[in-house]
Amino acid sequence: MSNSTLASGDSEDLEALFDSIVMANSAQSPAQETPTNRPEPSTAPPPATEAGEGSLFSQIGHLTRKLHDTLRELGYDKKLEQTVEAMPDTRERLAYIAAMTQQAAERALTATEIAQPIQEKLEAGAMTLSAKWQHLFDNKLSPAEFKQLAEETRDYLKEVPAQTRATNAQLMEIMMAQDFQDLTGQVIKKVTEMAQQMERDMLQLLLATTPADKKTEIDTGLLNGPVINAAGRTDVVTSQDQVDDLLESLGF
Amino acid sequence: MKFLIVDDFSTMRRILRNLLKELEFTNADEAEDGVVALSKLRNGKFDFVVSDWNMPNMTGLELLRNIRADAMLKHLPVLMVTAEAKKENIIEAAKAGASGYVVKPFTAAVLEEKLNKIFEKMEKQ
Repeated sequence: MSNSTLASGDSEDLEALFDSIVMANSAQSPAQETPTNRPEPSTAPPPATEAGEGSLFSQIGHLTRKLHDTLRELGYDKKLEQTVEAMPDTRERLAYIAAMTQQAAERALTATEIAQPIQEKLEAGAMTLSAKWQHLFDNKLSPAEFKQLAEETRDYLKEVPAQTRATNAQLMEIMMAQDFQDLTGQVIKKVTEMAQQMERDMLQLLLATTPADKKTEIDTGLLNGPVINAAGRTDVVTSQDQVDDLLESLGF
Repeated sequence: MKFLIVDDFSTMRRILRNLLKELEFTNADEAEDGVVALSKLRNGKFDFVVSDWNMPNMTGLELLRNIRADAMLKHLPVLMVTAEAKKENIIEAAKAGASGYVVKPFTAAVLEEKLNKIFEKMEKQ
């Protein structure tokens, strides 16, 4: 694959821009060795008021040019392009997950809010009747009151199935709301694969562009958070025993 | 009537199992992919298969083709319940001999309707 011949209009423009900046600055830099005393550095591009800044700018320009060429030589410009193209897709997928989970949460909450009053009504009715029946067993009810209690109880029981059915419908709704997990699960898997691919590409790119003397440097930061995967790592502890052993070996 | 629910997501298997229970089909078993499903189908008496499409090891479509190619199983009704919603998918499934096709996310009413349709067809045969 000859990436250089495939250069689109875009890259040509970019190249031209790179060249013009690099050329302009390498031409300017000797002239700007002498400090110019302009009170208002309002004119935009590099306010090279101090010696060296111009050449620094030029160096950055050269470095960028070099990086650009290296990337193209190695074919990474295409990879980066693919990565950039993959981003909107990933963003859409993540937005889909956010929408689905929110919808599910709302469905479950709505169903709960509908079911709760039904349950409360059933409970209140049962408690009222139960108290009245206790009165009956305490011989505190007249025959007329007993007759009324019997009717109330019959009405209550007649109503119960409709209410339990209504509650059950809401429980089913809560259950159906969980169907997002299957759909978002599939999408998350795709996004994870994308992230892994991107990580691999970035790592290759990093390895290809890092100067040799920097390659041995490792991350020595102290705020790495919990160890997600300790397998194959010798620089982390995996148990309190190991923590204690290490401290002991250090004389603490 | 004994159902086999095939889906790689346990939540979806539970949802389907509960929906079937609600429709008074209480006898159901589960499989997490086509391979497990096929071996369960060959070793037990099942009357109905409800299967996802996108699964590891063996997809729902491959499972369907295997069922239709197996003299002992080819009569089994297979309802596809899947997130694959492209026309090509539906045509492919129909060609392979699917008895019905439900696109996720679906409602309990849709599942019941598709099941009833399949039962009606079975009675006619």
